[in-house]
Amino acid sequence: MRFRTCSYENELSQALRDGHWPKGCGQELRAHVDACCRCNDLVLVTQIFQQARSESEHAADDNSPSLLWWRAQLRRRNAAADRISRPITIAQAFAWFITVLVAVVFVASQYRHGLHWATWRSEFIPSRILHQLLLAGTGQINLNPFLLTSGFAVLALLTAFVVYLAWEKP
Amino acid sequence: MDSDAFAGFYLRSAPALRAYLVRVSGNTALADDLMQESYLRFLSASCPEGGEVNYRRYLYRIATNLLRDHWRRPRAACIEDVPEGLLAARDALSSIDSRAILDPAMARMRPRERQLLWLAHAEGYSHREISEITGLSVAGIRLLLFRARHKIARLLRKRIDSVRGKV
Repeated sequence: MRFRTCSYENELSQALRDGHWPKGCGQELRAHVDACCRCNDLVLVTQIFQQARSESEHAADDNSPSLLWWRAQLRRRNAAADRISRPITIAQAFAWFITVLVAVVFVASQYRHGLHWATWRSEFIPSRILHQLLLAGTGQINLNPFLLTSGFAVLALLTAFVVYLAWEKP
Repeated sequence: MDSDAFAGFYLRSAPALRAYLVRVSGNTALADDLMQESYLRFLSASCPEGGEVNYRRYLYRIATNLLRDHWRRPRAACIEDVPEGLLAARDALSSIDSRAILDPAMARMRPRERQLLWLAHAEGYSHREISEITGLSVAGIRLLLFRARHKIARLLRKRIDSVRGKV
């Protein structure tokens, strides 16, 4: 089978589309269709497909346009809600990542210095820590300003996050 | 598009879209699912400008993409596996003549061929419009359509002869 074109094809296609075939067409075109395999195929296929389409027009359809409209509105709303909550989800994932990273770094550093897990208990005396903080507040002890600033920044961030969660929950 | 305009558009376009999906997929239940999904996606997206002609073309493009996605799923759900008899029995759309002649011939065509034939000969779309719907090139469509038409014409003639022979 070789692909070839026929000069009558466009005219014939138009006649078939408009429903002019065969009565609305000239003798010349009809004679050509009888002789040309390609145009003969076109007429046969188009007529059968058009018949099938017109029969399908009467098919029962259980869908209701108003129900589809309502479902589409619902889907649109859900998509909008997803779009809005995406930054929060990303922030939560980022917070988890940072937490895990800090924990891993801490465990790794502790492992490098030897696992003396219980030693902190002997050093942890609340009254002594409070005394140190009071001294730092009065300027009698020089604390590392970088550590102090970063500590307050982390505390502020955590406070803001907790306040946000507390506002969001109700 | 508001609710009333959509209702009107749906009533005018749904039968033709359903016929396209039923004929190309060969499965009425699947066609109904895809039709619903097509309209939902149509409503969820921003509608193209240019009136109902463009709306229809856009709707057919969505439906065609959904069909393609369906065929890309595992082979168990592929249309090629549906037996010819089942295909004819499931379709309650058409009359006895259409079932006896067109459906068996369609069942022996490839999904892409069924799609192109329906869009060109049932819907009357031009090669350029089919290209916009399917994403194929105009030259490719011309060649594929020529081969598909030749193939289905041969099958249809055989079916017509056998139906006449029985009568």
